[in-house]
Amino acid sequence: MAKQMLIDAIRGKRTPRAPWVPYAGVHSAFVINEPADKFLRDPQLLAKGVVETAKKYKADGIPLVFDLSVEAEAMGLELKYWKDNVPSVQSHPLADKTVAEAGLKVPGPNDGRYPVLFEAARIAKPQLDEIDCALMGLAIGPLTLGSHLAGVRIFTDVVKNKERAHQVLRFCADVVEKSAEMYCDMGCDIIAIVDPVASQIKKETFKEFVHPYCQAAIATIHRKGKTSSFFICGDATKVLEAVCQIGTHGFAIDEQLNMNFVRDLALKYKVGFGGNLKLTLALSLGILSPREDAIVSLAAGGTQGYVFAPG
Amino acid sequence: MSERKIKVDVLTLDSVQCAACGYMMESIAAMPPDVQEMIEYKEWSIKNKSGIAKFLELNGRVLPTICIEGDLVFESIIPQYEELIDELAKRAPTPEMAERIRSLRDVGFNFDKIQENLEKAGAGKYTRVDSEIE
Repeated sequence: MAKQMLIDAIRGKRTPRAPWVPYAGVHSAFVINEPADKFLRDPQLLAKGVVETAKKYKADGIPLVFDLSVEAEAMGLELKYWKDNVPSVQSHPLADKTVAEAGLKVPGPNDGRYPVLFEAARIAKPQLDEIDCALMGLAIGPLTLGSHLAGVRIFTDVVKNKERAHQVLRFCADVVEKSAEMYCDMGCDIIAIVDPVASQIKKETFKEFVHPYCQAAIATIHRKGKTSSFFICGDATKVLEAVCQIGTHGFAIDEQLNMNFVRDLALKYKVGFGGNLKLTLALSLGILSPREDAIVSLAAGGTQGYVFAPG
Repeated sequence: MSERKIKVDVLTLDSVQCAACGYMMESIAAMPPDVQEMIEYKEWSIKNKSGIAKFLELNGRVLPTICIEGDLVFESIIPQYEELIDELAKRAPTPEMAERIRSLRDVGFNFDKIQENLEKAGAGKYTRVDSEIE
């Protein structure tokens, strides 16, 4: 396992081999035979699951948690927990209210599940250091948080009611920055801003409503001396050049993108890139051979700034 | 006599795990009650065989996608309310229904029954490899 190699790759540098990150998420609960809803709320189980998963898959880096409801829950939004999946957000306080009317505040280390995460990181970090595996902190991105807060209307507001959308996203930027800072304080080596819904908008919308609201978080991650990444899901082809320009050291994409296209853009902008083992077709369903799929990803990715990971 | 409804299929990875898929589902589930009466919709997660079969049947290309009456209408783009209204109206089975849908263009999303509507659409319920979508 090789933490520094992973950091180098995310920063766009050449590495002896492609480092490997399994975005285990609630699969770590499965690895230790615990239900996801219990695992995500128990620091001992969370740490145990993350460390055991890192060992099982010989990871160079692993996220502490891959759950985009953490920030929302810490602000009092209602969640539904699942035994075999991440929690889903059930309420949208900014669907018909402003931030002030809804009484929302930027959450801190004592809110929601952050105490669980701080404790889990405290337990897991030395064990991961022992096996030379990086700990990754994943903060929600501004548009996905904006969707949790305002519901699906945010996608109409970014076109039809821009000032309202900017008000929501300005608040989201503060939350994302604080979340990123807390992951730095937990001892995470790499902090990613995870904004899956940012692929579901036009490039111009991305530039106006995602790019500016990531800048404070990115500056904080860099000021703390950490490595930054930006994770996006779905068919992000139309916004990928804007992703390369967002200011993080690297980015990661999902299985729907063409790896040669991704690699060429990343090399052009001198940033790291990660992906894109086929999570569903190969790893989950086995319709494609996971081995052959891995070879395709590794061949396309190469060893200049490339992180081998599920898409 | 009940009128035929407009069929909407949402192709997803999993609307619980994937936020983009979740908000694609929610865009339909948050249509106002008068529109809900004229549509029927379902989530098809490609984590199970029924979802894969639907993806192939509709010639899906990317996830998530909203299909209306078998057409791939919103591919990796979460629609604005008015865009959804227009696309539903275009594919309404009768001119009268199309007119009724267009008359709701200024109503906007409604979040009152969203969880109930998502439940009816099977959102998040069939995400295991051995799930059979009902």
